[in-house]
Amino acid sequence: MSWIVIIWAMTASACLTVGLMHFVVWLKQPSRDTHLSFVAAAIGAALMAAMELLMMRAETVEQFGVLLRWSHVPVFILVVSIVVFVRGLFGTGRLWLAWTVCGLRALSLIVNFFAEINLNYVEITGLRQIRIWGESIAVAEGAQNPWIWLGQGSSLLLLIFVIDASVSLWRRDGDAVAKRRALLVGGSVVFFIVASALHSALLHAGVIASPYLISAAFLSIVLVMGYELGVDVIRSSALAVELRASESHSRAIESRMDLAIDAAGLGTWEWDVARDEVRISDRSRALLGLTGSAPVDFAAFLNRVAPPDRDRVREAVHKCLENGVDPEMEFRAVSGERSDGVRWMFSRGRVELDTNGKPALMRGVVLDVTQRRQMEADAREQRDELTHLSRVAMLGELLGSIAHELNQPLAAILSNAQAAQRFLVQGPSSHDEVSQILKDIVDENKRAGDLIRRLRVLFKKGEIQLQPLDANELVRDVLKLMRGDLINRRVAASTELAPRLPEVSGDPVQLQQVLLNLLINAADAAPDGASEVHHILVRTELTNDGEVCISVIDRGRGIISAELARVFEPFVTSKKHGLGLGLTVCRTIVQAHSGRIWAENNAGPGATFRFTLHTMRDLQHEQT
Amino acid sequence: MSKLDPTIFLVDDDAAVLNGARRLLTSAGLNVETFESADAFLDRHDPAAMGCLILDVAMPGLSGLELQRALSTKRSDLPIIFLTGHADVPMSVQAMKGGALDLLVKPVDEADLLAAIDRALIRGRALREANELAASVEERLATLTPREREVMTHVVEGRLNKQTAGDLGTVEKTIKVHRARMMEKMKVRSVAELVRLLERGGVSRTPMQ
Repeated sequence: MSWIVIIWAMTASACLTVGLMHFVVWLKQPSRDTHLSFVAAAIGAALMAAMELLMMRAETVEQFGVLLRWSHVPVFILVVSIVVFVRGLFGTGRLWLAWTVCGLRALSLIVNFFAEINLNYVEITGLRQIRIWGESIAVAEGAQNPWIWLGQGSSLLLLIFVIDASVSLWRRDGDAVAKRRALLVGGSVVFFIVASALHSALLHAGVIASPYLISAAFLSIVLVMGYELGVDVIRSSALAVELRASESHSRAIESRMDLAIDAAGLGTWEWDVARDEVRISDRSRALLGLTGSAPVDFAAFLNRVAPPDRDRVREAVHKCLENGVDPEMEFRAVSGERSDGVRWMFSRGRVELDTNGKPALMRGVVLDVTQRRQMEADAREQRDELTHLSRVAMLGELLGSIAHELNQPLAAILSNAQAAQRFLVQGPSSHDEVSQILKDIVDENKRAGDLIRRLRVLFKKGEIQLQPLDANELVRDVLKLMRGDLINRRVAASTELAPRLPEVSGDPVQLQQVLLNLLINAADAAPDGASEVHHILVRTELTNDGEVCISVIDRGRGIISAELARVFEPFVTSKKHGLGLGLTVCRTIVQAHSGRIWAENNAGPGATFRFTLHTMRDLQHEQT
Repeated sequence: MSKLDPTIFLVDDDAAVLNGARRLLTSAGLNVETFESADAFLDRHDPAAMGCLILDVAMPGLSGLELQRALSTKRSDLPIIFLTGHADVPMSVQAMKGGALDLLVKPVDEADLLAAIDRALIRGRALREANELAASVEERLATLTPREREVMTHVVEGRLNKQTAGDLGTVEKTIKVHRARMMEKMKVRSVAELVRLLERGGVSRTPMQ
């Protein structure tokens, strides 16, 4: 076998194979025209190898000349495809330079065909046989065509073009792939062009004698280009795998979320604010009673809100859109076909802004909270019940002294009336006295009535009703109520009431209950067997935090330090009888007023119970 | 109802009750003095005054019962009528044991109140008379010599002069002399009178300070 034939044939087939591979790729992805230019380059290289082989086997000068002439076609193809490939793969390279290169090469091709023989030789004088690898191959000898500089110029420009494109690619920041590509492709193209150009020049100048090695150079270039494309293909298939994996991952996540949403009974919705379209899940439809599959807009949603809540919901949503705040609200839904009472819905949304900072999308959930509200209402009712019972029990304890208190005005009225009866008998001189007596009778009657009215209010059960209250008046009223009891127990209550206290927000009945309880406890704390009067102090003051604080200070037995927090626990009591619920209920009441209640031991004997309440001012601030 | 010299003392911390009671008693023609607390009464009342004390049990500061105790330590003979808005058994028992004349529950009808005052004043008068008598007896006894006192003791026991002389180791004559002088000093005219005097003075005798 002829080595020359084998090598050159292999070169051609290698180029064709690689070209074919990438041709198939191009068929699958026609958008990637770097592949197409590569295929052209590969074909060009293969043709070149074929031509070189034929030239080496040429027997006549004419044959050689014609072959050499036709070999410029694959050269042209290769040059153009390299330019297109570099521009496509690199994305760099000056366009005018590219056109110039191609144009120059096209020109040299034309000149080549118009020349007598070809671009390289004006005249081929003879074919010399040289021996390489045990074979003889033909090498031309002749006079150089001066137009060869066209071809050489275009090669030079091609070089410049590739170098320029490679440098631009290299300069691209942070792209390691680009740098490698620039180095590899650019570098190898440059190297092989330079090498083959030099070799050709020397050959044609007659300095050396060897077969054309252009195809070898071209093969190398094609291989490098093929490698880069291959890397590209591998990379994109790796990306495709990653994409599939992440898609299946996100599908898994989505189905988990769907499960969670369904299990929680949540309905989801998405409101495109600009187009006023709401995409809602089936659950949402069911919850809101939006039957059918008609498209939903904000108005349709609002229609499903019960009329009394509509304005509130609409305003809240608009406000959230204005301020970019996430809305959260509870509202009643218009009852569906099974009109079994009010259904309460809870909805929370998130506002998403567009690139201009305007609300573009609102996403949210809706949930049926009727049951939860019912349970909360039940719990509240039980708490109220307990509070009431505790209050009644406490008042029951005070009943004796309350009766005493009622008897005072009654006694005064009776004495006054009977005195008046006597005075009337005595005649008109006592007129003034009788008039004064009657006035006093009226006052005393009112006093009794007032007490009875107060008691009735305390005995009634009712829901907490917040009103503005004067803490000092609260203290005074309770002390008036307890007057009889305190006297009986030999307890002297004094007060230190801060002047000009701001009004607090509270339910008068429940706050009186707290004070009553604390005072009874303070009276009970009197040391056993003491015959002296037991002193209790009630103080009101404004704290540094701007809250009103009421303190009941006794000088009794005090509380064990470890028990200070526990006294508010249910069923904790130091009394011989009693459930130990009084302070627990007090804490419930104070907490319902957003206040705090706590106990301290005094520096001296006895303990202090304190509770705080918010002022009306505080609450107004909080609301705004 | 006759007009009496004695004064009715009213003590109650409730001004309306105090006023009403004052008017009632004044309209009934009684002298009334009012005090808004037990302490005020102790400070300001005239210990020598006659009358009765109408007192609320439950008062801040010094209570009614404590005032009763205080007065009894002072050996006051002012009769006490208690008023209360709410009577419970232990308190009532304590009041009566402490020597109160009566315990009335408010609101008190005028008839009940005036009747109680009546009894109190009569009782007061009786007490006073008894005290005066006792004082007088004490006075008279103080004028006796020891011998005369001895003789008086025997006479009161119904001993004859002869027996008395034998007991005391002296003669009848001497006894008669002592006896006559004793009867004169004691200002009695018969043994029966003497016995009655001593009994009445002794029974209602309040020890002299």
